[in-house]
Amino acid sequence: MEGRPAEDAVLVERAQHGDTEAYGELVRRYQALATRTAYVITGLSAEAEDAAQDGFAKAYFALSRFRTGAPFRPWLLRIVANEAKNRRKAAGRRATVDLSVAEDRPSGDTALSPEEAALASERRTFVLGALGRLREEDRLVIAYRYFMQLSEAEMADALGCARGTVKSRLSRALARLREIAGSEVSADG
Amino acid sequence: MAERLDDRDLERTLSDIGTRLGGTKRDLWPAVRTRIAERRARPWWSRLSIERGALAPVAATLAVILVAALLLTPRVADALGNLLNLTGVQIYRVPQTPTARPTAPALTFAGQRVATAAEASRIAGFTVRTPAALGDPSAIYVETAPVRVTIVYASVKGIPTSPQAGVSAIVVEFKGTLETQIMAKAIGPGTTLDAVPLGGGVAYYLAGQPHQFFFRDPAGTMQPETLRLAGNTLLWEDGALTYRLEAQVSLEEAVRIASSLR
Repeated sequence: MEGRPAEDAVLVERAQHGDTEAYGELVRRYQALATRTAYVITGLSAEAEDAAQDGFAKAYFALSRFRTGAPFRPWLLRIVANEAKNRRKAAGRRATVDLSVAEDRPSGDTALSPEEAALASERRTFVLGALGRLREEDRLVIAYRYFMQLSEAEMADALGCARGTVKSRLSRALARLREIAGSEVSADG
Repeated sequence: MAERLDDRDLERTLSDIGTRLGGTKRDLWPAVRTRIAERRARPWWSRLSIERGALAPVAATLAVILVAALLLTPRVADALGNLLNLTGVQIYRVPQTPTARPTAPALTFAGQRVATAAEASRIAGFTVRTPAALGDPSAIYVETAPVRVTIVYASVKGIPTSPQAGVSAIVVEFKGTLETQIMAKAIGPGTTLDAVPLGGGVAYYLAGQPHQFFFRDPAGTMQPETLRLAGNTLLWEDGALTYRLEAQVSLEEAVRIASSLR
């Protein structure tokens, strides 16, 4: 977790009353999550950061409409995701998940043998390729679950859907990912 | 990748990718703070353009306001110049502004005079706040149809007395919001408009000539409002309430006064 909800609520309330530094704390708390979310949609690091910045600025001006007691994190991610979607649409292109971003960063897992590490790397490459071919909505639901570790309730808020449909949406997205990955295996084979 | 990933491997790989998508390491707050300031500094109409696609209902409302403006202030309507389209706000720019309420005898304000803000709050049904920067009010009036509280400051050091009402400043509080309601405002060539940051939102500073504006009350009815003083005006909202400060003060001073609401 990148922040405890109770603390978020306090910061949000302070920000709503004009304390911009309180909002600054929320930005720092969620900037990594926000850029990750935008990145999953835009596929470009620089554009993701730009979308995240605009998302934060828009969210600031929307604070007066933020429902007291609601979780801040999914509300913010929804705004950031919309901002990223708008940018991608305006650019008129599909997102391509840039492999190097995931590959360049160490995961902290040093327990793998060189062979296992090589296999894991190959799998990441393979799965990222398949992710890039998924529909945006599918990629986002998978990202919220596996990349951001959002709870089901948070996913529902961030995706703007009923909580009861989160599981089925995730399940369908994974099925489509397997389908794409399967077709690539066949093509390789 | 010649082998087929089973479900467990797939989930593990996805989690692995997640740990490597670190997000930015740079502190985004300075850049975000700049963007917030830039958005605040934009003129109303340019900020509106962001949501222009969702403005069809506003266009319909604009037509209503136009008709109402014709009915309410025919002279203004006759002189209607260019029309500016703002976020939830329509501004009519006219060659001549309507005159402020005719020179009224000093300290004649509508409504029931009450002794304290607490009493005003009880009658108005909302918490009436007063700006500490102006000191103790000289008088507080509460109107009930529609509900409106007028707080009068007869003489405040450093603020000239208005020739219109014979007071230094007034603060008016009423239900209705500038963001989600529609307000129309007649401004003349001698009036300037500024959007300025205030608290978590934006306030609108009107300086120059006397002016009149329209707003929608909570029932959705358009209400005309005539500003009482020939001074500068700061309009802002907080929750369901709209506040206005009228006083011959600079933008910075108006914001300082508004920020001292207690």
